[in-house]
Amino acid sequence: MDVTTSFVTQDIWTWWLAIYLYLGGMGAATLTTTFLTDMYLKPHPELVLWGAWSGIAMLGVGSSMLFGHLLDHMAVIHVLNPLVLFNQPHAWIAWGTQFIVWMMVWGFLYALPYMLESAFFGRIPLLRDILAWEWVQKVGRTCGRHCRLCGWAASINGIGTVVYTGLLLQSFPAVALWHNPGVPLLFTVSAFSTAMAFLLLVLNLAIKKREEDRPLRVLYERTDLMLIAAELVILFSFFFYLQRGSQSAAISAQLLWNNWGWLIGFIGFGLLVPFFLELKGVIKGWSSPAPIMVASVLVLVGGYLLRYYFMYAGVYAQPW
Amino acid sequence: MTRYAMVIDLNTCVGCNACMAACAAENQTPVWKNSWRTYVHDKEIGTGEDIHRRFFPRLCNHCSNPPCMSVCPTGATYQLDNGIVQVDEDLCMGCQACAMACPYAARFEVTYGDVREGREFFGEHTYRRRRPSVDKCNFCAQRVLEGREPACVETCVGSARQFGDLDNPDDPIRQMVASGTARPLMAYLGTEPNVYYIDDLKRRG
Amino acid sequence: MAWDFPRLSRREFLKTSGYGGVAATLSPSVLLTGCGADKDAFESEDISYTICNFCSSLCNVRVTSRTSNGVKRIVKLDGNPNSTLNRGKLCARGQAGLLQTYDGDRIKTPLIRVEGSKRGEYAFRSASWEEAWDYIARKTKRAAIQPWEWTMVGGWTSCVFYMNWSVPFALANEVPNIVASPMQHCVTTGHLGTDAVTGNFNIHDEILPDFDNAKYILLIGNNASVGAVSTCRMVRFAQGKKNGAKVVVVDPRLSETAAKADEWITIRPGTDLDLCLAMFHVMLEEGLYDANYLRRHTNMPFLVYRDQRGEWQLAKDEQGRPLVKDDGGKQKLQEVLERGDHDLPPVINLTDAPIRVLPAYTNDNRQDIDGYSFCPALEVPVGTQSPQSGGHQLVTVFQAQREAVKDYTPEWAAKTTGIAAETIRRIAREFGTTRPAIIDPGWHGARYANVMMLRRVQAMMQALNGGIDREGGWIMSGEFHHKATRQWQAKQSGEGMQHQLSNLAGMDFANLVIGALSRGENFSHGHPGFTWAYSQQQKAAGKPWVALPVMADEGLKESVEGKLQWRGEPYKTRALFINAANPVRHYYPDTYWKEVLQHENMELVVLLDVLPSDTTPYADVILPNSTYLERNEPTLYGNGVNQDLAVTTRYAAIDALYDSWESPDVLLKMTEIISGNQAGFLKYMEALTGLPAEPVKAALAKKQQEGTKNPFSAACREVAFAQKSKELGITSDELDKSLRERGVYHEETWREILKHAAIPEQIPAVTASGRIEFYSSLFDSLRDTGVEGPAFSVLATAVPVSCRDHAGADVPLDDDEFYFTYGKTPTVSYGSTNSNNPILNAINTFKAEIYRGVWIHPERAQRLGLENGDRIRLTNSRSGQFQDGEVYVTRKVHRDALFLHSSFGVENSQLTRSYAYGGVATNKLIPHWVEPVVAGFRSQEFTIRIRKLEERAGGAA
Ligand SMILES: Nc1nc2c(c(=O)[nH]1)N[C@H]1C(S)=C(S)[C@@H](COP(=O)(O)OP(=O)(O)OC[C@H]3O[C@@H](n4cnc5c(=O)[nH]c(N)nc54)[C@H](O)[C@@H]3O)O[C@H]1N2
Ligand SMILES: Nc1nc2c(c(=O)[nH]1)N[C@H]1C(S)=C(S)[C@@H](COP(=O)(O)OP(=O)(O)OC[C@H]3O[C@@H](n4cnc5c(=O)[nH]c(N)nc54)[C@H](O)[C@@H]3O)O[C@H]1N2
Ligand code: SF4
Ligand code: SF4
Ligand code: SF4
Ligand code: SF4
Ligand code: SF4
Ligand SMILES: [Mo]
Repeated sequence: MDVTTSFVTQDIWTWWLAIYLYLGGMGAATLTTTFLTDMYLKPHPELVLWGAWSGIAMLGVGSSMLFGHLLDHMAVIHVLNPLVLFNQPHAWIAWGTQFIVWMMVWGFLYALPYMLESAFFGRIPLLRDILAWEWVQKVGRTCGRHCRLCGWAASINGIGTVVYTGLLLQSFPAVALWHNPGVPLLFTVSAFSTAMAFLLLVLNLAIKKREEDRPLRVLYERTDLMLIAAELVILFSFFFYLQRGSQSAAISAQLLWNNWGWLIGFIGFGLLVPFFLELKGVIKGWSSPAPIMVASVLVLVGGYLLRYYFMYAGVYAQPW
Repeated sequence: MTRYAMVIDLNTCVGCNACMAACAAENQTPVWKNSWRTYVHDKEIGTGEDIHRRFFPRLCNHCSNPPCMSVCPTGATYQLDNGIVQVDEDLCMGCQACAMACPYAARFEVTYGDVREGREFFGEHTYRRRRPSVDKCNFCAQRVLEGREPACVETCVGSARQFGDLDNPDDPIRQMVASGTARPLMAYLGTEPNVYYIDDLKRRG
Repeated sequence: MAWDFPRLSRREFLKTSGYGGVAATLSPSVLLTGCGADKDAFESEDISYTICNFCSSLCNVRVTSRTSNGVKRIVKLDGNPNSTLNRGKLCARGQAGLLQTYDGDRIKTPLIRVEGSKRGEYAFRSASWEEAWDYIARKTKRAAIQPWEWTMVGGWTSCVFYMNWSVPFALANEVPNIVASPMQHCVTTGHLGTDAVTGNFNIHDEILPDFDNAKYILLIGNNASVGAVSTCRMVRFAQGKKNGAKVVVVDPRLSETAAKADEWITIRPGTDLDLCLAMFHVMLEEGLYDANYLRRHTNMPFLVYRDQRGEWQLAKDEQGRPLVKDDGGKQKLQEVLERGDHDLPPVINLTDAPIRVLPAYTNDNRQDIDGYSFCPALEVPVGTQSPQSGGHQLVTVFQAQREAVKDYTPEWAAKTTGIAAETIRRIAREFGTTRPAIIDPGWHGARYANVMMLRRVQAMMQALNGGIDREGGWIMSGEFHHKATRQWQAKQSGEGMQHQLSNLAGMDFANLVIGALSRGENFSHGHPGFTWAYSQQQKAAGKPWVALPVMADEGLKESVEGKLQWRGEPYKTRALFINAANPVRHYYPDTYWKEVLQHENMELVVLLDVLPSDTTPYADVILPNSTYLERNEPTLYGNGVNQDLAVTTRYAAIDALYDSWESPDVLLKMTEIISGNQAGFLKYMEALTGLPAEPVKAALAKKQQEGTKNPFSAACREVAFAQKSKELGITSDELDKSLRERGVYHEETWREILKHAAIPEQIPAVTASGRIEFYSSLFDSLRDTGVEGPAFSVLATAVPVSCRDHAGADVPLDDDEFYFTYGKTPTVSYGSTNSNNPILNAINTFKAEIYRGVWIHPERAQRLGLENGDRIRLTNSRSGQFQDGEVYVTRKVHRDALFLHSSFGVENSQLTRSYAYGGVATNKLIPHWVEPVVAGFRSQEFTIRIRKLEERAGGAA
């Protein structure tokens, strides 16, 4: 009965869900990276505040993409309820939602003590007053005392979120492109890579403590370089994995590797160009921060393109 | 135990679409936007002068190992002991992960707008749905519980659709399935579907 | 499996009463929104039974309605599980039928055309019924419309359900004109051919082949009549297939039904008669027939001779009784030998065997008028003569028939049909040697001038196999058997039949209707129906005329335009009453009827319908009818074409949504307006249908007093129930109760019926001779009226078809030229308003490419540079009519033909969904051109030229 099989892509989860996956992964990775940096490498309140708030913002925007497309917004309550993990332990969205929520909560708590001390937040009307409330202060102090706990709680949920974005796609068995263990790996690597890129931009543009943060920047650059390299290796293996095997996979490969957006946009400008820019930075160094910032921007765009094309190139076989 | 299943004999499906109409009326599906719980495809196959017109009915397979259910975060998609996979419209938030997970394109969305349209279409007081959700075939559980056949089966003028219980040794469909005369779609995916097809190409030389 | 985690919770399935399904647990969203309340608020559920109204398959329907918040609404239709007709199943149209009732486009009040507007503009104002009746009455009076100037136009709904009111109406009001849309397409062109052989004739279809038990099924040009869809046939066909029957379908395209065949034979359009003649030829030449059956139950052994003009004539005795030759005991010998019996009868030389006289009307040829038992010979030696035949050389009908098709060899047919001679021979042999085998009687006729002959030959082939009223063959309906039996009893007892309209069966019934409308003597004004008058006028003028324009529209235009004369006076048609018919769409071409409707002589057009069809814009007054789900019918009915004998009727599932009137009440009111002869109406009703006038009158008075809506219908129903229950030997209430509970009241199964009423084995056929007629008495009788041409031949013969003016069929088609074929869509009735049904419309949209497209073979498309979806112009090469459409390139169609579904192309924008859907309208491509026997439409007898249009298809066309 397979004579009539046709192959189709889907139009259920499209560009907007790619944003969810992208911002979800990047936001979580950003937050996690800054917290771990703060805890173990170099205390850096500014970085934490940036990481926490941009992470939360990205997750907020990303989640709103999913939320906005829900058919019944009220019913979202069922996944916000933590008991969902006991009822639906096999559903990644359940895990993902909880990761996201708790990452935001713990992330906020980890950042709270820094906020209380931050001059910037002290200048924002209304927020200034709220931060001055006694119980907020109290919570802040408690968190400060248990900052490792908060930091780890946030980071674990953050890593969970990052990995979840890949596991989610992996849970759709009909699509060979998605239904393989390479996807969580690829998405995790990519999420951290985009997080590095984002933080490099933050360090270069927002925090601007050039000398003080140099070792950090170098570390991020190197990490990013390695992540990009890993991503290239994973993609390379994807390419060969998709060639042979199920037809769904082969057609996905055809769709991707015949697409200029994927080849030039993502692999070329999103991976190779930043790779070489950063490689040079690592080996020889650049005289200005500009090339690294260009590389970062390219990595950020590439990160989205990866998810966009992944959503678009998932192929279902329909035997009718 | 009961394990409901459907066998579709492609040799006598005549592409009349009665099943589509019956299902739409029974289950009040949003047909105005071309969404159905069951479709009958009309395919031209064969090459050259060997032309075969195949009518291919499809619907949810009520998989024994349903990926739609395992991805559902709210528990809206669940399975009855008799194997029927259903969506609880009250629990479903409409994330559509299930639709992505289903290899058989069995699921579609019912939006707020569709609920409004549905009232118009099927009657304000008789339209049963109140909330948007993902929707799909439920093997007409509401009828099956009353001892009736699913709407599409009952009306199938080609008697192409047969409904039965695989766990009942006397059920005619059991033998068709056991003997391999009736086979499921894309079984290699491990979904363990419970809609089986009898091929229509065998007779032709 | 990666995604298969053990579930921690298992939800319980809660069985709630009624429709609540699962739900019932108060989930948070319900709490949040607070709208959990009305989910289980369905107060009650009702089941009632009715009859589907979307085609004359007349399926039995089970209706589920639900009352909620005080509003009762129909929620689901199912096949009535108690029905042996449709076996609990309904096709898509039947399933979706409830949305006809709730279609927002319905006609909701009487509508009167706005003063100053023209017919066709659809400028109407809502009116009350009083206003509408007043308008009609005033107009009738002011324009002094005479009874014969009225014409009733009806569709199959009015035919099947209201025949018993329509004909008495016609007679009481002295309106001699009924145009019925199924006739020229279907009943007269198609069925009458079959009926000429079998004697069968019912209002709309009469034979239900026993596909269940057939081993070989041959379908020629059948699609909607079986697989696409006549439910009662398809359920049997599917079962036959499951039982292993071999199925062969002859169709120029791979139709739904052909898709289910073991063998699809792609035939060149219009050549089916050639195919069948060749098969018939093979069967006769090779002895592939049931000789014993032919001898006993058909007129094959009757002796015939050629008269001076070379016409075949029956040899008869002085009293007009048929002659046959004794086969000299050969058959008896054969039987004795087979029995192993040694008491051998004397064998006489066949040449010396006597010629015997048979009773004029009987079903068995084995007894002559003196009661002598013998066996008639199928073939007689050269030189056979008889004193009664005036020295003519006699042969049997069998021999004459074989002679008549002598040249129609498979090789001959191969040339025109495009089917290999070996294939034709093989199918003929398969069909002739497999028992039981069925060649379907066919349904939609028309298309070509030779379709009636085609149907005659098909029936003859079936008779060659002896496959009539036998298991696995053609089975006549239970209702037909019932009537035929009573009729046979009446004939035997020498008493006439009473209440002929409802009691006469078959051709006798057809003759009754023909007689009523074709003879001016039946009316005090002396006018026959205009179409009959027109035939006489044409004939007198030496122009082509139609022999039996039964309820045809032939001559209507001339009559409206004042070009028809009767006894030296103009015979004008000036008023139309259109009930459940849509002539603008169903007749050809649309302009013919538009001109009729818009003509200045046309004084009044009254139309009764449920939806705004393409004809409604041309009415002066549109009256809203209820839909079939909203009404009790005024009487009880047989169970359609069911082989079993059963009684059924409609029960209203809900109160009518709008202020609608029923057909009988409308007819009664129209009677008041036209002639004031309501008493006469009731009297004719009693005389013709047996529904007694006095009790009806009394019941009517009572209902009127009680303020019953549509009191006349209700009164008739009451009396009909009383009458029928008496016949069945139960009380009226018992009958009512039984029908309310089961929807059908079964009287007898077909197997039981066949034991005593198998036609012709137990009782005579309703032909003139009582036999299955190879030599047609119908066409024999027409010969005296001066008709000419092979279409009137008393025996099977070739009838030429001419599709092209500029070249014969043997010359290859031009590159842009195609034979034209059309057919019905499984999801639409005719060109009917149910294309507007929201569910059906959605299915049609889902399948738009296939249903709306013009089917063209890829090889032809390529030559014209056409691709799927391209816009094209189709032009009739003969009439110049054209229509635009979009291409569907498919190998499922014969290279020489294009095919389109005849269901689409609605032009009234009030029918919103149909209108938006678009499609090619057949009525705008087919000219007014009819064949000479019954004015059947030659609706495919031309070719179409195709030209690519520049812009591509986009949205609705
Ligand atoms: N284009 C096209 N024309 C055809 C055919 C085709 O396939 N295509 N088929 C031909 C054949 S075989 C036949 S038998 C004839 C049949 O021709 P009809 O018997 O005339 O067919 P219908 O379209 O069912 O009915 C005509 C009208 O009846 C109305 N109607 C439906 N239900 C009711 C009701 O309950 N009450 C009243 N008063 N009106 C009602 C419909 O709205 C429609 O306008 O058509 C012939 N003409
Ligand atoms: N869906 C649906 N079903 C119906 C009805 C309906 O309106 N809609 N109406 C009922 C009624 S009243 C009728 S009369 C029947 C009609 O039922 P059918 O008589 O079966 O009529 P169609 O489906 O119009 O045409 C049958 C087939 O004839 C083929 N054909 C066209 N030209 C030729 C030719 O020259 N030779 C051969 N061999 N085939 C040819 C067409 O391709 C088509 O597949 O359907 C009944 N059932
Ligand atoms: S067919 Fe799709 S929706 Fe149905 S049970 Fe299987 S996976 Fe779920
Ligand atoms: S759409 Fe509804 S049923 Fe599907 S996964 Fe989401 S919550 Fe579950
Ligand atoms: S079983 Fe019921 S819900 Fe499923 S396709 Fe058939 S009619 Fe529709
Ligand atoms: S009702 Fe039966 S025969 Fe008709 S299309 Fe559906 S499955 Fe096929
Ligand atoms: S075949 Fe379909 S349309 Fe015709 S009577 Fe039956 S259900 Fe109705
Ligand atoms: Mo018809």
